[in-house]
Amino acid sequence: MDAAFLRNFAIIAHIDHGKSTLADRLLEFTGTISKREMSEQVLDQMDLEREKGITIKAQAVRMSYTAQDGQTYELNLIDTPGHVDFAYEVSRSLAACEGAILVVDASQGIEAQTLANLYLALEANLELIPVINKIDLPSAEPERVVKEIEDVIGLPGEDAVLASAKEGIGTQEILEAVVKRVPPPRGADDKPLRALVFDSKYDAYKGVIAYLRVVDGKLGASDRIQMMQTHSSAEVLEVGYFNPGLVASKSLSAGEVGYVATGFKNVKDCQVGDTLTLATRPATEPLAGYRPAKPMVFAGLFPVDGDDYPLLRDALERLRLNDASLVFEPENSIALGFGFRCGFLGLLHMEIIQERLEREYNLNLLATAPSVEYVVTRTNGEVMTVHNPAELPPPTEIDQIEEPLMDISIFTPARYIGTLMDLVQTRHGVFKDMKYIEEDRVHLTYLIPLSDLIIDFYDQLKSRTQGYASLDYSFARYEAADLVKLDILVNGQPVDALSLIAHKDEAAPRGRMLVDRLKELIPRQLFEVPIQAAVGSKVIARENVKALRKNVLAKCYGGDITRKRKLLEKQKEGKKRMKRVGNVEIPQEAFMAVLTLNDDN
Amino acid sequence: MNVPVERDVERVAAEQSGTAESLAADLASISLYLHVPFCHTRCHYCDFNTYAGMLGHRESYVAALAQEIQLAGMRARQSNGSPRRCRTVFFGGGTPSLLSPEQVDSLLHATRQAFALDDAAEITLEANPGTLEKGRLDALRALGVNRLSMGAQSFDRDLLRWMGRIHSPEEIETAFAAARKAGFTSINLDFIFALPGQSLATWAETLERAIDLGPEHLSLYSLIVEEGTPLFSWVREGTVHPADDDAAADMYEHAMTRLAAAGYGQYEISNWARAGHECRHNLTYWGNLPYIGLGAGAHSYFGGHRFAEERPIARYISRVRQSVAEGNTTADMLPAGAIAEDEAIPPELEMAETAMVGLRLNAGISRSRFAARYGRTFEQVFDERLADVREVRLIETAGDYIRLTEHGRLLGNEVFARLLPDSPEVPEAPTRVAG
Repeated sequence: MDAAFLRNFAIIAHIDHGKSTLADRLLEFTGTISKREMSEQVLDQMDLEREKGITIKAQAVRMSYTAQDGQTYELNLIDTPGHVDFAYEVSRSLAACEGAILVVDASQGIEAQTLANLYLALEANLELIPVINKIDLPSAEPERVVKEIEDVIGLPGEDAVLASAKEGIGTQEILEAVVKRVPPPRGADDKPLRALVFDSKYDAYKGVIAYLRVVDGKLGASDRIQMMQTHSSAEVLEVGYFNPGLVASKSLSAGEVGYVATGFKNVKDCQVGDTLTLATRPATEPLAGYRPAKPMVFAGLFPVDGDDYPLLRDALERLRLNDASLVFEPENSIALGFGFRCGFLGLLHMEIIQERLEREYNLNLLATAPSVEYVVTRTNGEVMTVHNPAELPPPTEIDQIEEPLMDISIFTPARYIGTLMDLVQTRHGVFKDMKYIEEDRVHLTYLIPLSDLIIDFYDQLKSRTQGYASLDYSFARYEAADLVKLDILVNGQPVDALSLIAHKDEAAPRGRMLVDRLKELIPRQLFEVPIQAAVGSKVIARENVKALRKNVLAKCYGGDITRKRKLLEKQKEGKKRMKRVGNVEIPQEAFMAVLTLNDDN
Repeated sequence: MNVPVERDVERVAAEQSGTAESLAADLASISLYLHVPFCHTRCHYCDFNTYAGMLGHRESYVAALAQEIQLAGMRARQSNGSPRRCRTVFFGGGTPSLLSPEQVDSLLHATRQAFALDDAAEITLEANPGTLEKGRLDALRALGVNRLSMGAQSFDRDLLRWMGRIHSPEEIETAFAAARKAGFTSINLDFIFALPGQSLATWAETLERAIDLGPEHLSLYSLIVEEGTPLFSWVREGTVHPADDDAAADMYEHAMTRLAAAGYGQYEISNWARAGHECRHNLTYWGNLPYIGLGAGAHSYFGGHRFAEERPIARYISRVRQSVAEGNTTADMLPAGAIAEDEAIPPELEMAETAMVGLRLNAGISRSRFAARYGRTFEQVFDERLADVREVRLIETAGDYIRLTEHGRLLGNEVFARLLPDSPEVPEAPTRVAG
């Protein structure tokens, strides 16, 4: 097809503003999918995506649309992940496009991720088509939202399309706007091949399938390819496009969006953001913007049943085939036994991985509280990264500890400013800016330690604002901070899996909260068990679990000794499921206690 | 203040736990349990094999039970063909006091025919205080029943009603007086503590009224919320909150102190008695000695097997009739006619069970008797597994005996669980016998 009739575009939106529903309507209107084949969220293929109503993996689909000008256009729609954990993936998807539909909810208006995605689209130099969605709702205020778009984004209000994806209102207008306003891709078929990988996934039959946008040159079904960042090379097994399933074709030309089955065995060989070229005629310069995946949040994952350790390793290895941002290394905890220290892009990513391990691989897992990656300079000058509190050197050997800081952006109704400021201050946030975007809506920006963000900041933000505030964040920089390691001692013994790194001023209150929680969670033992929180050798909080007083079957069983024995065997089994640390039995929930600590209790 | 009667500790222990010398005779005789599964109504906490609204089946049930006693006696006879010695008979339930004296008579008659019943055998009958008229008590005593065990449960009117008991506090006292008048000189009262809403004060009051009556024996059981009972569903729904372990421990410790002061000796975790009135039938259980349980759902331990009978009444009756018709009385058959579950106890487990039930006795386990029974010492078998509970003084050694300490009595399960073999040679569940 002549590149003049190609249009590549993405849909970006804040979560729940109707991105996936709009995609469904476009597929339906262009006849790509018949109404009969239509299921909700067609492009979200994973169970988890549908359940959570979010997009985790990018998807693409080719549509054929005959416009009002009588021409038939080939439209490539790229559906992007909706969560900030996957911001880099979003940015690569956008880089594969010339335009983007910016969906804004007609009642909610601009939210934090609307803005974050908008910036990403502007960086990628995309033509933007604002769509005010859900105008059929009684609470819709399209005029107000149009004005917001003018004020905040600086796009002319008359360019906005009013739509209801649910009711199918405005679908054709959107397609017309795409055809008229999104520029056709530029690029030359005769240049050396450069194709941008915007997502990849592992397929058991075809190896790694790279989703790509051909920028220059042409990719044929029997070429030998070369990755410009990882330098991996392979024979092409198949090229094609999405309809929305994979449809093989002879080649992909400059400007086109499609896939290539690479035969790579691991997505690591073919990462998002890499440039794919031909081994026989390589390009000299890779496309800009490549960044290897960098995990931000770390946690230990341990099988509840120690025998499952090899299963967990296999499962993680399989998931990594498909997820270059997942990193893990073996971890041996005194308390929890053998497991893996895993790195994730963020909390959602962690949650997704954990759920997939439990669901798809039938594993029963114990996750330690998430931690961030600290950069520690030792007194001997050595610099090390620490993402497991248990690995922090003793205080006397530490010169300084640096922690990651995040830029956060909050959109909120003005009446919640006070409570949000309180929240951010208790989390060591530093105020940067506050802008009224409307009479009653405010955009706040702060710098905040990531460690404060990952505990329950988002839940707190939502609960303090009745769900009205929205949040976005991105990595800012590392900065030295006054941090200490908080140890928990059970019956005088430190329990490594309960250690955490805290800001010095918070160590005491957090220690007290943790000790209180643990007192509730650790069952009474044959002797009194002291639970202490300590920084270095200084105990800052202490509680005692009183000794067990009664555990006996004082009941007449009419000679049914078997029954008595079964009950005892059951009790014995129950104990096996606890982790024995020293001579104290600690139930699994205790290791999660750190997660459920919050300011309210 | 009453000084508790000083007794020769070793002598008492020998009576209760047995000695190496008496072992052979103890293992060669049995205790007989006869289950009477009928009740007027079911109590809310009860998960025993009992049935309300089935009183009309008493006659055919008793007939089947009498036949089964005969069959069991034949199968359990000694190798020389003479009947096996029986030392105690226990009518348990359910509500055995719902049987007519004639029915009790027919069962005792069958027992005397089938077994060599000791002249001085302890013959106990469980009774509900709401079912004891004077005439019935006289008749039972005349038949040879020499021990009465009454399910009093509480003297608190509200708690009795809450439990679903059919009797009032006053009826306990009336029935007790009537039993004395009928000539019963060994009477037990059962009580339940740690009931929802029960305070230490109301428990203490129940205990005082019990002591005032002067029974020879007291059994105090803490309420256990059993699956399948109305109580269980109430607790799950959250409408009833069971007493916590601390409250239960307080009540138990109060009972220990108070009953000792009143001259009752505690001889087992749940049992107290005046000297010489310890329940010999239950001592068979705690000694891990053979007993034969007959009747619907009854349990036996004989010939190295634990086995249990069919629970539903109709099924029990038809299975017994079938067994009697088949007439197989060879000695290698288990001595019961309606067996539903049968489990062979391997030596390792038998030792664990002997230790587990024996440690329930205050006297504890005789080390010389244990060694005589198994050819290995208690210490050889268990010391390693019990090191930590010994260290925190839940158990102690006193002369020939190993026993729970006073502190350990409330934590018995911690000790018992450690006695059980780790990877059971034990089958997962008792095997079901076809039929």
